[in-house]
Amino acid sequence: MVERPADEHYALIFMAGAIQDLTTARQSARPRRATEEGPLARWTLILLSVGFFSAFLLLPLVAVFAEGLRRGAALYFKTFTDPMVLSAIKLTLLTAAIAVPANTLFGVAAAWAITRFEFRGKQFLSTLIDLPLWVSPVIAGLLYVLLFGSQGVLGPWLQAHHWRIIYATPGIVIATVFVTFPFVARGLIPLMQAQGVAEEEAALTLGARGWQVFQRVTLPKIKWGLLYGVILANARAMGEFGAVSVVSGHISGLTNTVPLQIEILYNEYAFAAAFALASLLSLLALVTLGVKSYVEWRARQQSEQSQISPL
Amino acid sequence: MSIRVEALSKKFGDHAAVQNASIEVATGKLVALLGPSGSGKTTLLRLIAGLEFPDAGQVFFHGEEVTHKNAYERRAGFVFQHYALFQHLSVFDNIAFGLEVRPRSTRPPKEEIRERVHCLLKLVQLEAFANRFPSQLSGGQRQRVALARALAIEPRVLLLDEPFGALDAKVRKELRAWLRRFHDETHITSLFVTHDQEEAFEVADEVVILNHGHIQQIGAPSFIQREPANAFVHDFLGLDFQI
Amino acid sequence: MKRILPGFPLTLGFSVVYMTLIVLIPFAALAAKAFSGSWEHLWAVVTSPRVVASYKLSFGAALLASLMNGLFGFITAWVLTRYRFPGRKIIDGLVDLPFALPTAVAGIALTALYAPKGWVGSLLAKVGIAAAFNRLGIVLALVFIGFPFVVRTLQPVLVALSEEVEEAAALLGATRFQTFRRVIFPAALPALLTGITLSFGRGVGEYGSIVFISGNLPFKTEITPLLIVGKLEQYDYQGAAGIGLVMLLASFGILGLVNAVQWWSARRMNITH
Repeated sequence: MVERPADEHYALIFMAGAIQDLTTARQSARPRRATEEGPLARWTLILLSVGFFSAFLLLPLVAVFAEGLRRGAALYFKTFTDPMVLSAIKLTLLTAAIAVPANTLFGVAAAWAITRFEFRGKQFLSTLIDLPLWVSPVIAGLLYVLLFGSQGVLGPWLQAHHWRIIYATPGIVIATVFVTFPFVARGLIPLMQAQGVAEEEAALTLGARGWQVFQRVTLPKIKWGLLYGVILANARAMGEFGAVSVVSGHISGLTNTVPLQIEILYNEYAFAAAFALASLLSLLALVTLGVKSYVEWRARQQSEQSQISPL
Repeated sequence: MSIRVEALSKKFGDHAAVQNASIEVATGKLVALLGPSGSGKTTLLRLIAGLEFPDAGQVFFHGEEVTHKNAYERRAGFVFQHYALFQHLSVFDNIAFGLEVRPRSTRPPKEEIRERVHCLLKLVQLEAFANRFPSQLSGGQRQRVALARALAIEPRVLLLDEPFGALDAKVRKELRAWLRRFHDETHITSLFVTHDQEEAFEVADEVVILNHGHIQQIGAPSFIQREPANAFVHDFLGLDFQI
Repeated sequence: MKRILPGFPLTLGFSVVYMTLIVLIPFAALAAKAFSGSWEHLWAVVTSPRVVASYKLSFGAALLASLMNGLFGFITAWVLTRYRFPGRKIIDGLVDLPFALPTAVAGIALTALYAPKGWVGSLLAKVGIAAAFNRLGIVLALVFIGFPFVVRTLQPVLVALSEEVEEAAALLGATRFQTFRRVIFPAALPALLTGITLSFGRGVGEYGSIVFISGNLPFKTEITPLLIVGKLEQYDYQGAAGIGLVMLLASFGILGLVNAVQWWSARRMNITH
């Protein structure tokens, strides 16, 4: 961030000054810096963006909580005692508990391979990693139905062995893995590229081997970036709707995750319950954004610390 | 001979970084690898350290061939141009690192590690800074931490890549004199890379001049200045302009 | 070739196996299914009037929404990087809300807002505009979903713009607006286009936030991803695979567009500097 005069108090002084600007804009002879806009333009732009932000982003968020609490707190909390809701929460937690660690492992491995070595097909691998960010979640679900579904490529074989993947938990997990695998890798690759390998090489010359190099040198350097990827992957894993919807089969109490349960409640006109459950996911989103801001701040500190000039 | 390099060659793609280079560094000597940027001197140093593997040729430490050994098996102390200190570790832990990553069977006990680190801190005159982090040190101090860290593993040879490259002129001069004194006390076989001829000629016992991956001349500073082997050395040293 | 740092076979091997299982094999299955019948049949499915109507809707709504995000995203990125005002940090932190908020939650929240009896919907109803269960609702949902892309791609570019260049423009006699139009905007244009394209790409494939608000009427408010879900529910795997393939090709086209924008901007920078 370019902190112009980088003082926290500056905001207040600035406010006071700006309001004065507005009221005395005509007569005021306060010279303005060449790279500043006039107060009128400035405040028009600020109001436009704050207005847009409030109407389009804040209002829906407020609506979730308002609708959830509309029928009173008692009903709000009663939502979370419904066995169907509880089993949806359990399935969502289970799914995230498998998909997130698996993708963390993959993300670290892929980032290590891509940033530390030259090999043929590297560009292809990195494009593949971005793919889920491009593909419609519905297509993600479709892929697995076409592969594992009853009329899918592997369908007959799976049926012969009495294995169910689609319309069962494994399908939900796999679809979630698909939509969340880019996050950890995407968070780490630019970071590890920027950090370079000097510290790892130093560790090698000092006698550290394979795992020691990673655990003692690389991991401490990337931990904030790693956490960043993990929380984003987790948010997406717990909130994914499209891909999971296609492979789940919507069997209440069995294959419904929280977002799918919200849909069912909503379609059954149990609005208060739907929004109560939605507010739970909204809280998760807010916590995610909070942690994300904190992690960004820590990562910035860390990189500033290591970039202090040598003298 | 502490370091012997025989007919070493290394290509990056089409670019031949080092071609058929042979050097011998006698035990206890301080030798400079001098050349313009892109002459292959850093690559040669990294080949010796095991941070690159050669396409052809051999590397020996004290008569033992290490060509195919990994960097972590060579016990060559290496000081990086930008120090490559571990940012997340204190000065103490940076220096202790090489001892702590040893396999349990050869790792010294905690108390001994502490003692050795304190010895090294004393040697590089940074006793008061044990608990600081690299970001809290000046450039010259970081340089000395990097040196202490490399010495902690009791290296068979010491390799320094542009050891004063990132420092300002004044600190550079001070450290240069300090390194020479330090070497006279420890007599550890050392090879350092520099592009600054004044530095090479003032500090080193012997100078190796490189250009385009080829070794141009090897000899004592006074000898090279008196009898440059070819036109490149003559020009590079700017001998015409010297009195 | 021998490698210095450890772990090459392990990490690359694991990554390749993982990608093969999760991505490559399923894509092969999609292609196999799509081409399992005759070409004529495939063509008939992906060009049937109802499907074509859904393409028009999905792409059209995504285009409108991404352009709107381009405008307001630029203003927001500008305000966040250039001005200090109360609440700036909160807005900066919440810009990513659409990334973090599950699409189903966004979907029902937007529907509640824009429904005829909702907070905003009731106001719009007074002036005779129906937002929910209408095409407008789809655009509004996509504005919500795509908003962060433009802001987040522009922010670093606006921060990195050198103040000296703006000062130079001012010293040469340019008014503030001229400086913006001739100096700042051209420099930010590649990032703006990238952000708009990303927002567009996301909008084309969006499902969760739309199904609630759109009303899902064939030929009117039925988006392409919904058609795929419909085909799957009728066990028409081949039809679903065919339409899926078309959408996938479109995604690759958009990805190519982003790369082209970046290539163009990199080349332009090389020439001017």
